[in-house]
Order: sequence, then C-alpha cells, then structure tokens
Amino acid sequence: MSKLYTFLKYFFITFWTVFVVAPFLWAVSTSFKDFQSVNSKVTYIPWLDFEPTLEGWRVLIKSPAKGGVDIVEPYFNSIFVTCTASLISIVLGTLAAYALSRFTFKAGFVRNNDITFFFISQRIMPPIVLSIPFFIFLSTIGLLDSLLGLVVVYIVLLMPIAVWIMVDFFNRVPKELDETALIDGCNPYQAFYKVVLPNSIPGLIVAGMFCIIFGWIDFFFAFILTFTEVQLLPVKVVALNSSITPWWSLSASALVSVAPLIIVAFIVERYLSKGNLSGALK
Amino acid sequence: MAKIDLSNISHTYNPLDPKPTYALNPFSMTWENGKRYAILGPSGCGKTTMLNIVSGLVRPSKGEILFDETPVTDLKTEDRNIAQVFQFPVIYNTMTVYDNLAFPLRCREFTKDKIEERVKAVSDTLNLSSFLNSPARKLTADQKQLISLGRGLVREDVAAVLMDEPLTVIDPDLKFRLRRNLKEINEQYKTTLVYVTHDQNEAMTFAENIIVMDQGEIVQVGLPKDLFEKPKTTFVGYFIGSPAMNIFHSTVSSDHEVKINDTTIKTNSNLGNLKDKNVKLGIRSEFIELAEKEKSNTVKIKLTRVEDFGNFKLLTGKMGDLVIKSKVEREKPIPDGELNLYFPPEKCCVYSDEKLV
Repeated sequence: MSKLYTFLKYFFITFWTVFVVAPFLWAVSTSFKDFQSVNSKVTYIPWLDFEPTLEGWRVLIKSPAKGGVDIVEPYFNSIFVTCTASLISIVLGTLAAYALSRFTFKAGFVRNNDITFFFISQRIMPPIVLSIPFFIFLSTIGLLDSLLGLVVVYIVLLMPIAVWIMVDFFNRVPKELDETALIDGCNPYQAFYKVVLPNSIPGLIVAGMFCIIFGWIDFFFAFILTFTEVQLLPVKVVALNSSITPWWSLSASALVSVAPLIIVAFIVERYLSKGNLSGALK
Repeated sequence: MAKIDLSNISHTYNPLDPKPTYALNPFSMTWENGKRYAILGPSGCGKTTMLNIVSGLVRPSKGEILFDETPVTDLKTEDRNIAQVFQFPVIYNTMTVYDNLAFPLRCREFTKDKIEERVKAVSDTLNLSSFLNSPARKLTADQKQLISLGRGLVREDVAAVLMDEPLTVIDPDLKFRLRRNLKEINEQYKTTLVYVTHDQNEAMTFAENIIVMDQGEIVQVGLPKDLFEKPKTTFVGYFIGSPAMNIFHSTVSSDHEVKINDTTIKTNSNLGNLKDKNVKLGIRSEFIELAEKEKSNTVKIKLTRVEDFGNFKLLTGKMGDLVIKSKVEREKPIPDGELNLYFPPEKCCVYSDEKLV
C-alpha cells in the first residue's frame, strides 16, 4: 500500500513537473532557433538538432527602424505601472482594510461587509463593462494613452485585491494586539505601524504578489487605453505577431515577460517555506 | 500606582436601543493604592467590561473614573499608564522577548539603562532571563503569557495592573508560583493589582479584597473570610465555596429561630420583623458538625452518599426532600443510616429576598 502510494506520489509529481516545465523548455529552445529550424522539421536540442542563434533575442532590443521590435521601453513601462499601482494599492488597500476590520461602519443599511463586497464587486464585473467608463474617464481628465492614466486604472483594479486579502488577514490578527499596544503606550497610529503592520507582513506579501501578478499580466486595459505614445509589455508582445508568426522572438519575449513573476514567486516561496504565510493563505 | 475611584459607573453596549441592556449596572467603588483585588463572577457578568472601562478601552455609558482624584474618563488608553494582561497571551510576534518586555518602556521614552534594568528585574522574576534574545513567537503558550505579564509589570509607575484571567493557559504548578510572585511584587512595589477570575480558589488565595459580580451587579465586596462565612446574597453562597452553601427554604418562627421541615434552628440573626415569613437558611458544609445524639439545633438526616476527597469526607444526606451536604474530617467514623447534624447558630445565615438578614 505504502509502495503504491509512493509510486503514485512520485508519478503525479513527475507528471506535474513535466506539464509545467515542458512549455518553458520548449520556449527556451525555440527562442534560439531561426526560421529554418522552426519550420523545417521537429527539432529540440541545440547544436545537435539545430544551430542556435540569438536572432530571436536580438529582435527584442533592436529598434523598429532596423527591423526589430524594441520591447525595452514597454518593459520598463510595465514595471513602472505595475510597481507604482501595486504599491499605492497596497498602501491604500491596507489602510482601508484595517479600518474595515477594526471599526464598525453604519450608513443606512450599509455595514462593513457591504463595503468590503463593494470593493470586491469591481473584480466580479467582466472587464469589458469597465472599459468604456474608464476610456471616457481617462479621456475627460486627459490621461488617455499615458502611464499615469494606466496607473490610475490599475489602482482601481488592484486595490480590491489588496483590501480583500488584508481585511481577511487583519480579521485574524486579534484585536487584543492593538489594545495591548495602546495599553503599552502607543497611540492608534503607532499601534498600527509598530505592532499590527509588522505582524501582517505575510498578508502584505501575499497581497503584493497578487497585485504584481494581476498588474503585470493585464492585456485588456493596456490595449484599450493606450495607442501610440505609451505601450505596455503584453500589448507589445502580442504586436510581435504578423502574417508569419516569429516563434523565436515570441518565445524570447515570453521568457523575458515571465522572468519578473518567477523572481516574485521565488521571493514569496521563501516565505511560504518558512511557514510565515500559513496564516495568510488559509 | 494610584487610588482608583469608580463613581456611578454603568455601561451598555447598545446605548441607542430604546431599552438598552446594561452590561454593568450603576455602581461606585474605590480601589486603594497598592492593594490586591480579585473580581469574581460567572462568565458574562461584566468583569471584563469593568477592566476595559478602567484601562480606557471602553468608555463607560455613565459615570466617572478618577485616578488619585484626577478624572481620567476622557483620557485615552495610552495616556492612562495602566497595564492590562488578557486571558490569552498577546505578544508581539515579530519581536524578541527582550523587545517585548522593553516595548512599554520604549513607548514612554525611558532611558536605555532604565529599560535594561527593568527588563532584567522582570525577566528574573518571571524566569524569562534565558529567553531574552529568542523570538517571542517561538516560546510555549505559558511562556508567552509570562511575557504578557512581564509587559504589565515592567513599568514601576503604572497606575494599576489589570489581569483578565491571566493564568488560564499556565500549568497548575507554575500558576501557584506565579500567584505567589504576584503577591511578592505587590508587596515589594505596592502595585495595585486587579485580578479577574471565575475561579474562586484563585481569587481567595490571591486577593485581599474580593469583588463578586453577577449579571452586571456587584453583589458583595469583602475579605475572603467574609465572603465565605457571611455571604451577603444566596448567589454568593452558591458561587463561593465547594460544595456550594447549603440553602434551605424555611419559615421564621421566632426572633432568632427558623423552621425547616418542622425542625427548629436557632440562629444569631435578628428576625423580629420577619415573623412567619418565608426565608432561606444558609450554612456552609464546612460548619455543619456531626452530632452523636439529637440535641438543640440538630437535624436528623438519612445518609445517601459518602465521598472521600483524601483530606476530608463529604457526606450527602436527605431530610425529607432537602439535600444537606457536610464536610467532615477524614478520620471520623461515619455511622450508617441516620445521623444527626449540628448547625452552629453563629454560622447560620438567614436570607430574606435572597439578601442576608
């Protein structure tokens, strides 16, 4: 029985690893191929099956005038928009979540849970519903096709995630902790940032991770709200496609695009393995 | 350290309700500087509310709190310089044991030397010295509670240390030692200690004065001996002591006598105004004596059970439909069947409308 269990365990782990890693290996291999290697016959291993080339990677940094696509600027645009929007969302979302967790709000029939739901409800709506209001809003305030405009929109999209995760997290931080800090001599603000916040770091990391992932992978709003002045990475990567699909540069750009998320995953994984996030994720 | 006056305090958690229910009914009380108090009562009787009002976590619906004659009702918690220890350990998980103990002093901007001196003194008292550099989250539940306690005791100038059933998570051996330590701290530093508990033994062994509460009311304040020997209400009689006080329905037959099931019992209470009225007679099982033969103030019971508790025997018997319990010395021979129990008049308490006459 235990042998069968061990066998099944390793079988599924191997299966899952292959399932997850194979596309990456495929992308890595393809990114070093040229037109000939991709289209002639099935090839896998560089130097043996095909002669590797850096052309797919070079295209990404070459200017369009020289036949490249130059994803460097969109890349930094994406980093700027994602990080700024995530940071602001986390700061505002954490403060909102703390208030929703610790104070009782009453306005007519509206209570704390309704306000929390109001935040989340913005993520329940299909994005297409929000696209026209966002478009009109940004064009009214003159921020269409700008990084700042995207930051504003992404804050609206990411803050519900931060509020949602942090409300749940703060609800599980006993309120006696705040009370003890007050008794020990902190004012409410000191109690928040000296005691409650350090205890909430796992929650902040999880919220930050989700904000970064959702901000980084968004294509829809980046596509609708930007045109020529500003472009984000997902839009640029999609724009790589043409009548002849350049699999080599698409693969290279895909690897470059997921690299930051892999770094985030490694950082978060360190906390996960320490067990620090167990409470935050339950 | 301060004298704490609670003047006409009452509190409700639903003040906007047309008929609010009060967690604390109006009361006034003074906690003298440097004394040890225990607040005793069943769960939900308002003990924790009272503590939270004193520490400022709850603002009373009515009344005023004074520390050394200075009103503090409107003062925020952080400005009251009070310490409170909760039932379950509350520690700062991200800090070391040292930082936890030093936190209240750092918040109040004590000098580094003073902080070190106080943390050392408190950690020595609570046996935490060897853990000072460990992360607080790695300690066991009872060690964590010691940290909570330590944060309460680390400030010498604190107005009072309020403890809300602080020893619940601590093992019995350590509990006993800690109670003794707390007493020593109180005697040494003259810190006013207020200790909430529903364990009467804890209250009796710890406090100089016990405040018994029931359903938001303070039913009796007094020395452990008074609460035991002269409970002011039948509730206190039931609540204090193990087993609870024997309480029998009876009728006043003369100025000092009551009748239970046709047996006349003489008491020291003055019952002149209550002639022929229905009252209750209360007597502790500890004070009922085994009588060799029938005499005045004895009742005849049919023995139904004898329980040996090691250091005493608990006899349970019936007189008609009344159940009487009596504690006797373990060595005393217990005759089978019927026996006579003597009720010493000075130990008999008479209750009219549940209150001591």
